[in-house]
Amino acid sequence: MQQKEFLDIILPVKDKLFRLARRLLVSTDEAEDAVQEVFLKLWKSKDKMDNYKNPEAFAMTMTKNYCLDRLKSKQASNLKIVHNNFHHTDNIERSVEANEGVEMVLRLMESLPEKQKMIMQLRDVEQFEFTEISEMLEINETAIRVGLSRARKTIREQLIKQYNYGIS
Amino acid sequence: MELAKIESLLETYFDGNTTLEEESTLRNYFANEEVADHLAPYKSLFAGLSIAKEEVSQRELQLPETAENSRRMWYSIAASVAIVLAVAGFIFSNSGMSQDEKDALMALNKTKETMLMFSENLNKGTEPMFLLSENFTTGTDALVAINEITLTANKVLK
Repeated sequence: MQQKEFLDIILPVKDKLFRLARRLLVSTDEAEDAVQEVFLKLWKSKDKMDNYKNPEAFAMTMTKNYCLDRLKSKQASNLKIVHNNFHHTDNIERSVEANEGVEMVLRLMESLPEKQKMIMQLRDVEQFEFTEISEMLEINETAIRVGLSRARKTIREQLIKQYNYGIS
Repeated sequence: MELAKIESLLETYFDGNTTLEEESTLRNYFANEEVADHLAPYKSLFAGLSIAKEEVSQRELQLPETAENSRRMWYSIAASVAIVLAVAGFIFSNSGMSQDEKDALMALNKTKETMLMFSENLNKGTEPMFLLSENFTTGTDALVAINEITLTANKVLK
């Protein structure tokens, strides 16, 4: 497989990989690093990629595994994830000015358990089918629906709580 | 769209049972419609989810050199090695030649010396030959004189 062919397949997926990494690792820098690492790994195993019927799902699975490993090693070394760059993302910040509630949604998503966070990211943000999410996260569809329902309900509860607090 | 329909879609949504199409209906509804107060949090929810999709990676992707590039790299390495070998070989073999040349020169000089010595000795050898030939000439002169004497004697005798 040549570089051009490889990039044709992988570049359209880049931002989706980045957003998943961003959701899990929170830090933009670390998410960029993760994307870079995953692309290098994909590039090294590019000859095997022909065997995968869905390279996008394959890339997504690799990103998920890479980020979860990073989080594990962070926990092991007792490093805290710093939520420091939430305000540095231009396009989010600009929209936040228009709607404070939007920032709240993103922050609430950060506090979800990792599995629910990934499911909600892939379904509600990236709008993948359940079969695709199942392949990407290596979780069966029923478990995905359950996780998704829990994630959405948690966000709803928190949002309503915040709204009531704001009003009263 | 009727409020009741949206509310029932929302329930399905929170149970994790909506299709992608239904979810897009919800997104569009909350993005475009004025919503009742009790639905306001959902406006934020769907707006937030849409905004989350706008974030993109800013960093340029850096892949290691391509297969063609690495092949080209190996060619250039091979070429450099060949050139280095050729130059080194030339230098080494050249200095070997000069060593040979030195040997050859030495041999030549030795030969010259020998030849000179030989020729000197040869000259020394030829000197007595001159003497000999001189004496020989003196001898022949004497013989000529003797011949003349004999001739005179013969005349006298006649």
